[in-house]
Amino acid sequence: MKMTKIYEGSHQWIMFGRDEHKPANIIDSNQYAVRTANRCLLMEPGGSELFAPMMAAVLHHAPVEQITDLFASHQDPDVISSLGLWDQALSSAKLHAPALWESFLRHFGCESIEYVPIPDNGGTIKLDSVELQLIPAHYLHSSGNFHVYDPQAKILMSGDVGAALEAPGAPMFVENFDSHIEKMRYFHQRWMPSNQAKRAWIERVRNLDIDILAPQHGRIFKGDDVKRFLDWFDTLQVGTAV
Amino acid sequence: MSLNMNNQTKSQFVAVASITSELSAVMVVAKEISLAAANAKAIAFRAGDKAKGFQPITDFINELAKETIELVTSINVYALSLYQLTVNEYRKTVAYNKFEQVTKMSEGAAYAQSMQAPLAHAQLSMQLCQRQFKRDVKQLLDQLEAVMHHARAARVIAANSRIEASQAGEYLQSLQAVAESVDKAAHTIHDNVQRCRIALSLYRNS
Ligand SMILES: [Fe+2]
Ligand SMILES: [Fe+2]
Repeated sequence: MKMTKIYEGSHQWIMFGRDEHKPANIIDSNQYAVRTANRCLLMEPGGSELFAPMMAAVLHHAPVEQITDLFASHQDPDVISSLGLWDQALSSAKLHAPALWESFLRHFGCESIEYVPIPDNGGTIKLDSVELQLIPAHYLHSSGNFHVYDPQAKILMSGDVGAALEAPGAPMFVENFDSHIEKMRYFHQRWMPSNQAKRAWIERVRNLDIDILAPQHGRIFKGDDVKRFLDWFDTLQVGTAV
Repeated sequence: MSLNMNNQTKSQFVAVASITSELSAVMVVAKEISLAAANAKAIAFRAGDKAKGFQPITDFINELAKETIELVTSINVYALSLYQLTVNEYRKTVAYNKFEQVTKMSEGAAYAQSMQAPLAHAQLSMQLCQRQFKRDVKQLLDQLEAVMHHARAARVIAANSRIEASQAGEYLQSLQAVAESVDKAAHTIHDNVQRCRIALSLYRNS
């Protein structure tokens, strides 16, 4: 599992991905951690196949007992099917996930972890002195869906929005936006169902000050590429299967 | 969870699931015995003195069938909890194996040591599950033994019934048929329960 520090300030953001031991028929995913003085939040902790490499990687940054929070943007298996294993590893942690999916996500096993349901209009996660905002992103692509915005680090963890289908071992950051488009087009057209939801999200996100847009698959957007992505997504027709 | 099960776990799942299906067959047959007993009682009543020795036997058969049904009902509850235990044990074993993998993969990590507590905890709860499973299997085996005992008793009674039937004159044939069906049913119960016990006995001391 590769680890990349994407923000270093009063707290840290770490991206985990490009796991070289991942079975080939499983979609590659990016996991993220926010590390504060005494706590650690894991975002989109991943599928059950990824649990061991992910946990081992996190242990470079935080001890198990300081992994106090998990976040799942939506209910997909690549996002959170490892829940049942985290549940047995963490003795007193919270899972922040859409209220809409609570009774579904519990199928993965959630007994010792406290499920903190995120209401449709969003919320916050407080880690020591850091406050993260949970931005509604419903129907992008899941009907109950949130992104995580850190106003201090100016990072938006955007779940499946901004995802790209890449060859194994692709670089962590977008280097040439124009050549990256083809890796994103099908994913967004096919997985994203609603143009209306897309417009509402873009409007909301344009009001945020974002340096880094960090999706759950593919590469991270930095600087001007964030705006390029929003402009491109704005003109894209989605929900193309019908 | 898309995790690979080993063969031991798979066969444990199969063994526990097969108990439920064998037992439901036993239930059907036990109900047949109880019907045969009612039938025999009616015949014996009509036969009057000629079937004098037969009447207490029919009561006995009926009693035996009832007890078997009760026993199987309570065994079913046990089998269900055994299934739940198998699911739990599987989950705990998967977690323990994954945690072991973590400790190997995290060698040299700054906080690798912190995995020891969850690892030890996972091992303990996995072992607790295994012990509980063995205890429950042993109890289930004892209860199955009781059903076998009933089946054996039913066969002895069926043999006695045949003797009594031979003195029942024109009722001989119908009473013999009753004895025959009790014997067959008891035989089936015996076989089914025996299969359960063989499937389970693997796990008693494993
Ligand atoms: Fe998804
Ligand atoms: Fe995804």
